[in-house]
Amino acid sequence: MIEVANLTKRYGAKTAVDGLTFTVRPGTVTGFLGPNGAGKSTTMRMLVGLDTPTSGTAKVNGKVYAEHRAPLREIGVLLEARAVHPGRSARDHLLAIGATHGITAQRVDEVLELVGLTEVARRRVGNFSLGMGQRLGIAVALLGDPHTVMLDEPVNGLDPDGIKWIRTLLKGLAAEGRTVFISSHLMSEMALTAEHLIVVGRGRLIADVSVADLIASATRGVHVLSPRSTDLVRLLNGDGVKISSVGGGVLDVVGLSTEDIALRALAAGIPIYELTPQRASLEEAYMELTEESVEYHGGTTTTSFGKAA
Amino acid sequence: MSTTTMERPVARTAVDEPEPRLRFTGVLRSEWVKLRSVRSSAMTLLGAAVAMLSAGLVFASTRTSGGNGPGPRDLVDPTAISLAGVNIAQLIIGVLGVMIVSSEYSTGMIRSTLTGVPSRLPVLAAKVSVVIGTVFPAMLLTALTAFLGGQAIMGGADLPTAALGDPGVLKAVIGSAAALTGIAVIGVALGSILRSTAGALSTLFGLVFLAPGLGQLLLPTSWRDDVLKFLPSNAGGSFTSVVPPADGLGTTAGVLVFAAWVVVPLIAAAVLLRGRDA
Repeated sequence: MIEVANLTKRYGAKTAVDGLTFTVRPGTVTGFLGPNGAGKSTTMRMLVGLDTPTSGTAKVNGKVYAEHRAPLREIGVLLEARAVHPGRSARDHLLAIGATHGITAQRVDEVLELVGLTEVARRRVGNFSLGMGQRLGIAVALLGDPHTVMLDEPVNGLDPDGIKWIRTLLKGLAAEGRTVFISSHLMSEMALTAEHLIVVGRGRLIADVSVADLIASATRGVHVLSPRSTDLVRLLNGDGVKISSVGGGVLDVVGLSTEDIALRALAAGIPIYELTPQRASLEEAYMELTEESVEYHGGTTTTSFGKAA
Repeated sequence: MSTTTMERPVARTAVDEPEPRLRFTGVLRSEWVKLRSVRSSAMTLLGAAVAMLSAGLVFASTRTSGGNGPGPRDLVDPTAISLAGVNIAQLIIGVLGVMIVSSEYSTGMIRSTLTGVPSRLPVLAAKVSVVIGTVFPAMLLTALTAFLGGQAIMGGADLPTAALGDPGVLKAVIGSAAALTGIAVIGVALGSILRSTAGALSTLFGLVFLAPGLGQLLLPTSWRDDVLKFLPSNAGGSFTSVVPPADGLGTTAGVLVFAAWVVVPLIAAAVLLRGRDA
């Protein structure tokens, strides 16, 4: 369980995290999603006491992290930035971290096996590939057999096999009743792993929704192809209806169902060649959510018809 | 890399083991594992020992050939001749102390360390303990060997020698090991305060090696000696030699001043470690 309340972090004039409040519950994989620089890593660093909040609280399993008697038993973390001495072997790295909590060499070998690093356990970490380094980071996170697992961009550097492995691992951890909190800037990755999403932008909470609700709530229209599109726009325009042209005579109509459009066009005698409901992808739903919080936009090519059209 | 079995359990399999818990003894063991598992620790420790031994033995041999070769200021004191390597050893042992902390910052390891020990201060305490526990015995053994070897060389040439039982000799031998340990601990403190290897090393070397010489050159003669005797290397001179230098501090005063040079930076390091974002 992770509870963040009114969490704020300022670095000089820059506000990295701005009054963030959310709860991450056990038993599901929760995604922490937002564009780069949205404050995800800073929030995670505050949760494990690496950064001190300017104001607000960040609690893990009911307490501020540093107050736990066995911090590594409460939460296992993988941070985005490298946190290993390259001259040390993977096994010694885990032994050193585990020793603080009296975690045995047996458990160290167990997690090495779990992440598939047994054969390179005694090799210096400096020679590891990005993917192997990531697996070592995950081994560190699992070392204390923690109730909560928090991973910052866990799929970074993993090959497709590794990505599949970590998805299965994370779902398994959640199924065991653990709290699983993973960050990503890629919606597509979250769509495959997470059931719940905390979406942030510019340090603020944008959405706290289930993946299913997010898809359902995404406003998407119906694509209509008609030889008399101008007449059709005039016919359909009204309160709560938004019509835009997507080119090639195709209109995107938001706020009316396919049935509505078909029946009204039939009554007015306007022919329709094509009528396609648009299903929003998670990626689009996410883009829509974060539209206001990303700093730079690319230009859009759709022309909007105003109400006056 | 072996292929991973997906069905493998994540939970600990050994249920009879005690529940993991953060303890200071664990933090101590952790720091010991860290120290022994990087090559640079053994290299610097060995380097300091070799430097100290060879300097002492070379200076002793130079005396036997009747030459006016390199040697400490006080060429008539046989103990000082055999322990002359302390100065060079300081330089190397200082690197060990600094690197124990600064390498954690340069590699990012500090994030793993402080995540495991979020109360933070036990980490600094454990690092200091491990440094003392490693450097002091190693340097005591080295100082003893340098002393005995140097005396044997000079004795063989019928030059005056000192014995461990002579007044002040044991103090000088143990004091040399203690001074080297102190320099290593100052290194730990500076590494922790400055969080950079280069910054901490230059500060340490400036303080220990450059400050006495620069002070000689730049300070007015009227109060130069009153200030310079308080520098760590000069304060250390009061207990690393059989007879404290005439213009320096007495043994007790020297020990206290040197201890302050160790403790004050450590306190600053502790305060900063607690307060700063890692």
